[in-house]
Amino acid sequence: MIPASFDYVKASSADEAISLISEHGDEAKLLAGGHSLIPMMKLRLAVPSVLVDIAGVRDLSHVEDRGDHIAIGALAKHRSIETSDLLIAQCPMLAHVASKVGDPQVRHRGTIGGSLAHSDPASDLPAAVLALGGSLIVQGPNGQREIAATDFFTGYFESALAEDEMLTEVKVPKSPGTNWNYQKFNRRAQDWAIVGVAAAQVDGAMQVSLVNMGSTPLRATAVETALASGASAAEAADEAANGTEAPTDLNASPEYRAHLARVLTKRALEASGVE
Amino acid sequence: MAVGTDSARVDAVDKVTGLALYPADAVPKDALHAVVVFTNQPHARLVSMDLSKTVASPGVVTVVTAADVPVNEYGLTLFDQPVFIGLDDTGRSSVPCDVSRWEADHLVVVVAESLSEARRASALIDTEWEPLPMASDVASAKADEILVHPGSSTNTYHTLQIRKGDAVLGMEAADVIIEGTYELPHQEHAYLQVEAATAWIDEQDRVTVETSGQWVHEDREQIAHALAVDEEEVRVRYAAIGGAFGGKEDMSLQIVMAVTARKLGALGINRSVHCGWSREESIVGHHKRHRATVTARLGATSEGFITAVEADVWLDAGAYNYTSNKVLGNLHLSVAGAYNVPNARIDSRAIYTHSVPGGAFRGFGGPQGAFVAESQMNKLASKLGMDPMELRQRNALTDLSDGITQSGLPEGVGVTRVIDACVERVPPSEELPEYPPFSPIASLPAKAEQLRQGRGYAVGMKNVGFSFGFPEACEADVVFHGDADEERPNRVELFHSAAEVGQGVHTALTQMVAYAVGLDFESVDGFFSDTSTGGDSGSASASRLTFMAGNSVLGAVEEAEKAWADGARPAAGHFRYKPPMTEALDPETGEGQPNFCYGYMAQAVDLTVDVGTGHIRVDRVVSVHDVGKAIHPQMLRGQIEGAIAQAHGYTLSEQLVVENGRIQNPRLSQYLIPGIGDVPARVDCVILEAADPLGPWGARGVSEMPYITYAPAVTAALYDAAGIWINKFPLTPSVVLEHLASAEI
Repeated sequence: MIPASFDYVKASSADEAISLISEHGDEAKLLAGGHSLIPMMKLRLAVPSVLVDIAGVRDLSHVEDRGDHIAIGALAKHRSIETSDLLIAQCPMLAHVASKVGDPQVRHRGTIGGSLAHSDPASDLPAAVLALGGSLIVQGPNGQREIAATDFFTGYFESALAEDEMLTEVKVPKSPGTNWNYQKFNRRAQDWAIVGVAAAQVDGAMQVSLVNMGSTPLRATAVETALASGASAAEAADEAANGTEAPTDLNASPEYRAHLARVLTKRALEASGVE
Repeated sequence: MAVGTDSARVDAVDKVTGLALYPADAVPKDALHAVVVFTNQPHARLVSMDLSKTVASPGVVTVVTAADVPVNEYGLTLFDQPVFIGLDDTGRSSVPCDVSRWEADHLVVVVAESLSEARRASALIDTEWEPLPMASDVASAKADEILVHPGSSTNTYHTLQIRKGDAVLGMEAADVIIEGTYELPHQEHAYLQVEAATAWIDEQDRVTVETSGQWVHEDREQIAHALAVDEEEVRVRYAAIGGAFGGKEDMSLQIVMAVTARKLGALGINRSVHCGWSREESIVGHHKRHRATVTARLGATSEGFITAVEADVWLDAGAYNYTSNKVLGNLHLSVAGAYNVPNARIDSRAIYTHSVPGGAFRGFGGPQGAFVAESQMNKLASKLGMDPMELRQRNALTDLSDGITQSGLPEGVGVTRVIDACVERVPPSEELPEYPPFSPIASLPAKAEQLRQGRGYAVGMKNVGFSFGFPEACEADVVFHGDADEERPNRVELFHSAAEVGQGVHTALTQMVAYAVGLDFESVDGFFSDTSTGGDSGSASASRLTFMAGNSVLGAVEEAEKAWADGARPAAGHFRYKPPMTEALDPETGEGQPNFCYGYMAQAVDLTVDVGTGHIRVDRVVSVHDVGKAIHPQMLRGQIEGAIAQAHGYTLSEQLVVENGRIQNPRLSQYLIPGIGDVPARVDCVILEAADPLGPWGARGVSEMPYITYAPAVTAALYDAAGIWINKFPLTPSVVLEHLASAEI
């Protein structure tokens, strides 16, 4: 439970961080809140030789109204998302999901950028941004690009981020009102989700995503398709596990996870106003 | 400070401010560091071991092996375990030591200048093992085709039986028979403070071990046996102890660190040596609550009177006995419950397997027995359509009962008392109250019909103190200080070995002495848990210290009062309290008087189950205890709430996965102990004080009791909620869901 040795450098700006990771290539990892990376290093599942600490980078902690969407700095803490008046009014699902991450200590350290860039299929926030149809702004040595959340999560702990790129901002569409829900099932309070389901009505359409039902957070496309063709919540929820390959571990079998996906999807849809 | 009031704990300030030193905190600056290397072999013969690279590795001071242990064996009740596995032992052990029977058998201790150097050198040990066939569970060990210990023709090494009346006729006389096979799981102790020890040769040339355990004198005896020295040549003392629960009753680092210190001394190296286990080493490296399988039958008349009990118990001892033979005795007695049973046939067996040893854990066989006895009673009530507590009241043991061991019970039997108090507080006919929805779980059904509420009960009793003829005693010393012309002492010193494992015994004893002498709490100075200053207290186990240590300090105070009256200044008093002698049970019939005191308990559990996911939330527990006398009511409630939290994990979430003798989830991220969001939302403690005739101020004991009845009360509440009986646990959501599905709920 002791990490391998590594070098540590502190970046004071996004540009400096990007130049440091460009210099070190795949030897380097960005460190923000450290709540995912440090445990992985302790278990030696991650063995970076250089840590580039971006926790001190200013100007990336914003939550801003940008007209049709809200822009969130990658270093915004879960706690500031949970308590943001703007998000509570304009994107309440995201604020709610942030409040379900870990415990208060974790939420005061962990960042949305760290959570998304880490691309853990069992995390809450990646699935929330995916259900909302958000997008991610990433910055590299040659400038910025925007990646849709649906294209961002590419594999188990893998994302579309290039080695020399840094996630700087997350954009979510405004989706006020009460037609949303997040169902998180865990065996023990404050643990990772065994399965989670995020549902949100965006521009009139119900969008649904699944936590921990595959190697990445997933859009429940079969559910969305069924709903679009007029299925009831119960009928659509029956499709929730279709096409998924749920993981197996000491907590749950794939069959139990598939069952949970269906039950929780039904609950999420009903709580979101789908009959 | 009177007994029966809540004084501040004597250790509160140090523990809250971080000043208290636990065994891993009090490491001298110049100490050497040791790593205990496990064999990592659940069953294999050591063919060769080359330590040359380890010895040559930078920073290494010495390597300790079987050759360094004069008598290479230990065990609290049977010497069946080698201290080290090795090829070069002295031959003075009854146990062959070239075969590893457990993945955590000790192979060598590597001592180096730093922990990292010791770890690096440990990785360089070159061993060759010949794998041997495994009998890794009861089913495979029963056949006796593979023997865990040579020198015996069977793995079933300890058996007990009860023959009372005629069980066959009793079953024939029954109108209703309840049958069930129950699977009881392992549990990990998961104390906050993992094993650690520092050892050195002191100025009097004694091998000294500072660690955390439950009985300094037992540790000393085991060390002295392995070192083949007089006990006076060994000193054991405890630093602050961060939990034990039975898991520190056996040896972990005590002997190996004593052997290491002695070897360093022989090499002329006059330095302390420290070793601390990681959480993973702790979970792999110490015993667990036993897993067991029990098949039981309960016969009763249609009026609900028990006619007979039959049971077959198989206790998986694992690779070594530890205290399995004693745990089996407790399970054996408790499988019949707290009831009048006119006819009984009970056969109980402990069996060796190539798996993690079972050993002491809060309740000591009682929880396994109570799960069987109380599940059977709850099923009987349901089958007869009777109020479950009325059924128990009809069968409850009293002062007039002969008991399952046909010897009567110690005076003051409290079964009917706790049942009455529980029913008064939680009437079975009462509607369940509305509890708030399960707040920490975000997955809530939109429609309430997926939530079902239920209520369950369980009743039990647990012995206080050692059983079955074990020589039970507890010593105390006090010294009264004051001037010759003073009528009363102004200060008292108390010397006692009772282990403060977190339960508050040092506070309780201080309080008792202060009250008995008539002084302020602050005028009593306690000196605890050091074989060089205190007499033998016996262990912090079997819910015994309030009773035993309380009586010992009362006796010591009485002796000191005599000396004081005779004019001695200071006036010393020593006392060795011995309770009534208990008896080993008759091998044929199980007759005998196994215990001298019991505590009695009844519990009611209200829960809600989400039938969509199988998740259970316990809304309220009412826990009723006849404790004789509450010496310190606040700590008593702490014991009850803590025991219930621990039992909650056992019943609902903790699942130790052992495959082919190897623990698969030795981490707290994978072995789920409940957190504050998971434990019962509310625990109501109901304290009854029917004095025990022998207890200090009438006190009995309580540390294990609230744990014992919890699991069967939960499964009964689940039946009440959803109509399913589950004969095994933990009741993880997927297990509950499977049962719901098969019952089409």
